[in-house]
Amino acid sequence: MAVIFDIERSGMHDGPGIRTVVFFKGCPLRCRWCHNPESWDKAPQELFYPEKCISCGGCADGCYTGARSLCGREMSIDEVMVPILADKPYYGAEGGVTLTGGEPQMQADFALALTEACRRAGIGVAIETSMALYRPDLLSQMSLIMADVKLWDDARHREYTGVGNAAIIENIRKADALGVPILIRTPIVPTVNDTVEEITAIGDFVRSLKNAVGYELLPYHPFGLDKARAMGLAMPRFPEPTKEQMALLNACARLQRR
Amino acid sequence: MLTYADRLAALRRRKIEQTLQKKEQNGYVDMDDFGTVPLPEGYRVRPWYNSQNGSFYGYDGMCENFCRVMAAHPPYVDPMELLCGRWRDMLVNYRGNRLFRPAWMKEDETQKNFDEDTTDLWSKCWDEERFPYDHLKPLQEKYNITSGIDSDAHLCCDYRIGLSLGFGGLLTKIAHYREVNPDKTAFYDAEERVVRAIQDFIARHIVAIEEMLAAETDPDLRVSLEEMLEVNRRVLTEPPRTLHEACQWVVYFNIASRIYTRDGAGFQLDTLLRPYYEADVAAGRIDDEKTVFLLADLLLNDPQYYQLSGVDVDGNDLTCHLSYLVLEAADALNIAANLTVRVHENCDPAFLEKAVWYLFKNKNGWPRFCGDKALTEGYERNGYSHADANARIAVGCNWMCVPGKEFPMNDVVKINIAKVFEWALADLRKEEDPSTERLFALYEAHLKQAVETVAAGVNLHIDHQWEVTPELVMNLMMENTIERGEDISQCASLYSIGVDGAGLAVVADSLGAITTRIEEEQVLTWAQLFEALENDFADPRIHAMMQSAPRYCQGGTVSDEWARRLTDSWVRHIKAQPMPDGRQLIPGWFSWALTLDFGAAVGATPNGRRAGEPISHGANPNPGFRRDGAATAQSNGIASVQCGYGNTAPLQLEFDPHLTAEEGGAERVCRLIRSHFEQGGTLININILDGEKLKAAHADPTRYPDLVVRVTGFTAYFVSLSPEFRQLVVDRFLDSL
Repeated sequence: MAVIFDIERSGMHDGPGIRTVVFFKGCPLRCRWCHNPESWDKAPQELFYPEKCISCGGCADGCYTGARSLCGREMSIDEVMVPILADKPYYGAEGGVTLTGGEPQMQADFALALTEACRRAGIGVAIETSMALYRPDLLSQMSLIMADVKLWDDARHREYTGVGNAAIIENIRKADALGVPILIRTPIVPTVNDTVEEITAIGDFVRSLKNAVGYELLPYHPFGLDKARAMGLAMPRFPEPTKEQMALLNACARLQRR
Repeated sequence: MLTYADRLAALRRRKIEQTLQKKEQNGYVDMDDFGTVPLPEGYRVRPWYNSQNGSFYGYDGMCENFCRVMAAHPPYVDPMELLCGRWRDMLVNYRGNRLFRPAWMKEDETQKNFDEDTTDLWSKCWDEERFPYDHLKPLQEKYNITSGIDSDAHLCCDYRIGLSLGFGGLLTKIAHYREVNPDKTAFYDAEERVVRAIQDFIARHIVAIEEMLAAETDPDLRVSLEEMLEVNRRVLTEPPRTLHEACQWVVYFNIASRIYTRDGAGFQLDTLLRPYYEADVAAGRIDDEKTVFLLADLLLNDPQYYQLSGVDVDGNDLTCHLSYLVLEAADALNIAANLTVRVHENCDPAFLEKAVWYLFKNKNGWPRFCGDKALTEGYERNGYSHADANARIAVGCNWMCVPGKEFPMNDVVKINIAKVFEWALADLRKEEDPSTERLFALYEAHLKQAVETVAAGVNLHIDHQWEVTPELVMNLMMENTIERGEDISQCASLYSIGVDGAGLAVVADSLGAITTRIEEEQVLTWAQLFEALENDFADPRIHAMMQSAPRYCQGGTVSDEWARRLTDSWVRHIKAQPMPDGRQLIPGWFSWALTLDFGAAVGATPNGRRAGEPISHGANPNPGFRRDGAATAQSNGIASVQCGYGNTAPLQLEFDPHLTAEEGGAERVCRLIRSHFEQGGTLININILDGEKLKAAHADPTRYPDLVVRVTGFTAYFVSLSPEFRQLVVDRFLDSL
């Protein structure tokens, strides 16, 4: 069993093709811009959205408006496979399942068993991971590893995410030896990592990897703020990057090694 | 030197101006654009009435008034184009059909008598004095039935008949069979006058071109006008030989049929025009640039439903170079277009990819896609031949038709099953021991009555349509008509009458909500439910409880099961209905643009829908069916409720993929289309939209007069839609965010 907090179907932005995206609860990082802060704690937890509350007084008998909702529940392989198999006709050669979270490697045994179940059904599996953990038995089974390098400087990485990046960099280098395609991604968070120097440094690292298939920059969105409020958590709001800023940084990401 | 690109840009600008002008003249219009142009100043027609109720019917009434409206239409010649002619007004406007009447007529003093003694929307389109159906009206009203009585035009001509004969040849054919059937004088008189009225219309264009040519000094435009003149002189009597002549011939026929009864059926565009194109190319008369311009001009003239690609009767791909040029033409024009790509496993995959690529590029809702396998196999299941099933093409909002042979009444016969369900609930309330099983049994009893009522209406219509609204224009290109001296309603080879159910998701979700909350969880009683329906969900907790119950298209829910059971029941009742004279009823799910009207007739429903709110669209789930709005889940759900006899239950998708075609968007949508059809899907209408633009246009539509959306089967200019309809499109779209 694993604690899963969402399964999204028809995913079009979490890997190639049409994908079913399985969200694992629990993450070792605490990124201040996280858009899924409800994924941090591995245990199921209740979220409260006051704007949806109709003050019916029936909380004890169940909430139907979504004001109080339970985030995360224990699921078996068979349960998770139901929506995955429902979308099997749409995957084709490109699409499939993406394990994300949270950090899927925190529940690696389940993730591995799920990957095996998908393999038996002829479905490819990719992972979105912080790479703060390293489970080569799982990673080596992936069709694609999508790994974040959020900041190049170890101290700043620790300041903004709660952990340093030395282990992450080391884990990515080790994963590079597995022969699995790796896509490195950086969330662009203005005032934190939106500089040419930052992206150039990470870009150089990406170009040093044998199996890197690309370097992708993702613009920050304040999607996590509502969910943070529902958890009773204060999270900062960062400015969103402009299109021009993204274009400039994307150009840096594409530059050849200096 | 004037290029074709310059000319297209000018035509597109003019089209946008005309759209805004028409909105000024007619107000909001929740339907297809039809390619009409604004009415000229002072335009009036004096109709001739041959009925005591102040309307006109039959061969003489329809023919005389057709000739009058045709004669009132001024020629439309624009030297920037290659094709002449446009239409503005139609015959049914003079029979009290309020649905299509333009604003000017409603304000016209001489027309006001229509409104004073008209009892319902359609009453003067059908001659109720001679063919009354008062005995059907109570049940038609009870079950919110769109009966199809007095509907017209929902069939499809075999254009090969007209293109091979020309208007002169049609007159010769009429003269020949007049001798064979001497007792059918009234029929042949009317048909002959119809052809001569079309020829007169062409002749007036020839005069207009000659006058413009005399005054034109621009050498490029002179060349254009000279070519138009030659083409028009040819098509006046002779069958077309070139692509230009064939397109011009089609335009004149379509104008006539639109003016007659706004008939909206096109043809297999690439295959039918291919011989003309290839002959032109072989003779060095045309290049692809001019072909694209000519085709764009045809699509501008009228957004008829044309099918592209598909397979022949042996399963061989029909995609040809001209198929690609049609897409290029629609792209060059980039306005409303009703092109349907027929998808089959043997079809050129590059063509499908190209078609999807245009969806992304222009975001104007074209093309759409139909699934050959389910449509062909389904139609054969009624006992029809493979050849007929293969020939049956997409030519309407939701519908298919065998050109020249079939009398389908498609898209004009509907039962609002949300209303049927409401009666079942009312009956259940009087009983001691309510249950969903009992509710479903009551629903089926009411459904049986509704289907019997529909069948009686359909039979009345078919038995008498020739005496009320004979299809004088379409008869020219149908089989058996001219040969026997009979209207197509009397002599069609195939009477496969489409009956669409509307409100599937409302009923499925209602049954699912009752099963879940009352029977399984027991958190609500039947008495509480009935009270909530009566007070329109005054208690917000009960409202939320029912709204949040499992929904149809979520995947594997109790409501998904109910939707399949409702479909089985719908198909069983429709197919079991006895019909005379080889007629058959064919089931489908489709609401057309009637979701607002149908919703207004139904009180609160157990799925949390409040009284009067719109019912669900076609076979689609209710808005908000899944938090992720998963298109794959919707596709699976709709594939599972196909009725299986060759009529459609369309998948209507709206989304902003936040991906360009090149970033993999096109590949993903191709996969979605193919998979839906592999699972038995029949028709897909897709709007790939730019969310920001749609929201901005919703706030101020006049800022985006070129924004086109696929409303149901048809595309429409967003600016022309009423605020309620714009809201419906925006709501559906928000599901995908």
